[in-house]
Amino acid sequence: MYILKNALKSITRNKLRNILIGIIVLIISISACVSLSIREAAQAAKEDTLSGLQVTGTISFNRQKAMEEMKKSSSSSSSSKSSSSSTKTDRSKFDFDVLQGSSLSLSDYKKYAKALKSGDSYYYSGAVSLNATGKILPYGTSEDDDSSLSSSSSKSSSNSNSGNMQPPGDNNNNNSNTQNNQDGMGHQPFQVNQGDFSITGYSSYKAMLSMFGDDGSYKITKGKMFDETSDALECIISNELATYNSLKVGDTIKLANPNYEKETYKLKIVGIYKNSDSSSEENNRFQMNDPANNIYMNYNAFTKIIKASAKANHKMTDSDGNKTSAKLTENLAFTYTFKSVDNYNSFAKKVYTLGLSDDYTVNSNDLQQYENSLLPLQTLSQTAIWFFIIVLAVGGVILITLNIFNLRERKYEVGVLTAIGMKKAKVALQFVTEIFIVTFIALIIGTSVGAAVSVPATNTLLANQIQSSQSTGNNVKENFGFKSDDNNGTPPDNNGGPMGKMFGQSKAQNYVDSVNSATNLFVVMELVLVGLFLTIIASLAALISIMRYEPLKILSNRS
Amino acid sequence: MSILKLENISYHYDRSKVMVLDKLNMDFDEGKIYTIVGKSGAGKTTLLSVLSSLAAPTDGKIFLNDRDITKIDRYKFRSKYVGVIFQSFNLLTHLTALENVILSMDISGKKFNRPKKEIALELLRKVGLDEEEAKRRVLKLSGGQQQRVAIARALSYDPDIILADEPTGNLDGETQDEIIGIFRMLADEGKCVIIVTHSPDVAKASDITYELKKPDKAS
Ligand SMILES: Nc1ncnc2c1ncn2[C@@H]1O[C@H](COP(=O)(O)OP(=O)(O)OP(=O)(O)O)[C@@H](O)[C@H]1O
Ligand SMILES: [Mg+2]
Repeated sequence: MYILKNALKSITRNKLRNILIGIIVLIISISACVSLSIREAAQAAKEDTLSGLQVTGTISFNRQKAMEEMKKSSSSSSSSKSSSSSTKTDRSKFDFDVLQGSSLSLSDYKKYAKALKSGDSYYYSGAVSLNATGKILPYGTSEDDDSSLSSSSSKSSSNSNSGNMQPPGDNNNNNSNTQNNQDGMGHQPFQVNQGDFSITGYSSYKAMLSMFGDDGSYKITKGKMFDETSDALECIISNELATYNSLKVGDTIKLANPNYEKETYKLKIVGIYKNSDSSSEENNRFQMNDPANNIYMNYNAFTKIIKASAKANHKMTDSDGNKTSAKLTENLAFTYTFKSVDNYNSFAKKVYTLGLSDDYTVNSNDLQQYENSLLPLQTLSQTAIWFFIIVLAVGGVILITLNIFNLRERKYEVGVLTAIGMKKAKVALQFVTEIFIVTFIALIIGTSVGAAVSVPATNTLLANQIQSSQSTGNNVKENFGFKSDDNNGTPPDNNGGPMGKMFGQSKAQNYVDSVNSATNLFVVMELVLVGLFLTIIASLAALISIMRYEPLKILSNRS
Repeated sequence: MSILKLENISYHYDRSKVMVLDKLNMDFDEGKIYTIVGKSGAGKTTLLSVLSSLAAPTDGKIFLNDRDITKIDRYKFRSKYVGVIFQSFNLLTHLTALENVILSMDISGKKFNRPKKEIALELLRKVGLDEEEAKRRVLKLSGGQQQRVAIARALSYDPDIILADEPTGNLDGETQDEIIGIFRMLADEGKCVIIVTHSPDVAKASDITYELKKPDKAS
């Protein structure tokens, strides 16, 4: 093929010009290779992290959104959903009945579970506060406190199940129960409920395991675990509580509805557990209750208590003198578990088609946590892509300019070639071939260099990125909707205070900070596309001017 | 049957309205040498560019072996059927003489029974360039030598028609005779040779001479 031969000859004849073009393409291809490799590494890291990852998700009321809406119009409480909330809520900026208003019931959650895919599942737990009654005393109280704790009715009302009690270790429970019997306290809904005992019923051992974590800090030391399925009122208690009250396996404890002291329940102790973590400060801090006062049972049994309380439906008088129901209301925590991130994402979409309102969001703290760990790499990747685009654009412009100048010199050549009968298309093909060869030689060199430096370059850039991420790390915490909660404002330290830890922040600090391989076949293929793009860009001027050339001009061009 | 036939050919350049060629009727046969004479500016070069299909006539028709030339691809026509020796040579000056000749052979797409390089070198020797000169860049050849390269190039792919614009303009008398000898040989082989010239000697050596006059501006 003489066109190729001519092209090669032409390249060697015009060394200087082609070296110049080559250098530009070389610069473009090195930066393109590094940028694309960074993006590829980011993608790979994301897939590595997220593939095969089992995540949990919860449905929660979009509190932040609701609060912001309330902030805008403080009069909203009068028109709010809360039905029997007293007028006192007008004093408050926020209508906490609404804010806490996720009134999703167990059957709702189970209905939404239809959006799960095979391999996914769910578990749940209910929690409620009960008061000590009879001989038993909560761990950490003295006899002196007893009278005030167990007798006064005003105490009862303040002990109303305000629903801020969290099942231990469960981060996802935003849906608090409120049945409007917390009048007078409505403006302080986040007040810690010191109801003597926190009773939690788990749907399965698996639920318990998930909530306690599998670090082995919980251990049955005496007796056995409660039966997973039975609805017998059996429970396990902490060894602190057992020792404090001289309780042993087989004993029965009597607990009372804090709203209505005469409503009591008897639980049989089948096991005593030890929580080696119980003294740790962080547990105490966000668990509201002393963990030693946590009593665990299975959900079937637990729900019997709730139902019995609803059936009894005792009335109590609140501080305003109104009569309201004293029934126990459970604090339900429902967690979906997903086999994969894809399943989670599909659930998060599909659940709305099953009738979930827009006021609720599906979220996954563990997924969020993994995604945060990828943040610096993702940011770097985005920067790299912008850099790539800019280099490509600038390089393209330079190449076009260079080629326009070249063509002025080569017009005579085009004239001669067409005058002696070479078709314009073939002339164009020769010119494009020349550019193509130069571009691809430079591209191959550039890719080799780029591939060699991409890993160290990525890691160095990533280190810088992480450094700057850490200095702006607080922003990440704001993503958790804590902005509006002044008391629990973001801790100044980045390495996750207890609050941070609770919301998965401590792990998020373990950024993905290195990549192993970056340039892969895909990147090489993209670089080939880049090469083609540059060839086309650079040839464009040549093509246009050749096609417009009139061979007759050669006759008037008597140089 | 004439190989090339002009019927009422008129031509004017795009921009100017002045007729350069006005209703020309000419016949060119195989095996003959034609000379076209005329004053400077009479339109000789213009006629050659119409004949070589570099320019399409404004009016009239050209037939190649009784076939309307517009039905033939212009590039194919130039690269295969006619060999043009341009007044200003139009060689690729950064290529060697040999490369220029071989390039034309490549472009013609014709098959040759011997290596192109061999044919090209032989042709160049015939027009008076030795191998050393043949492998020199055209830029470093004299005007006369360049003219010879242009002749060799036009002959290289064995076209049926040879169009030459002042092919002996830069040559001394002796070389001019040699070149005319070559043209005669080609005519004897059955080619049609059309030469534009100012030289009476060349005109004399030809079989038929057409004189071109500037079209009367009044008409
Ligand atoms: N590209 C062009 N555009 C416009 N007019 C042109 C062009 N080339 C030539 N002409 C005009 O056409 C006429 C004929 O020109 P042409 O080159 O054919 O003359 P010529 O007979 O070859 O002269 P010479 O003997 O000097 O080579 C002249 O008047 C010239 O000015
Ligand atoms: Mg002329």
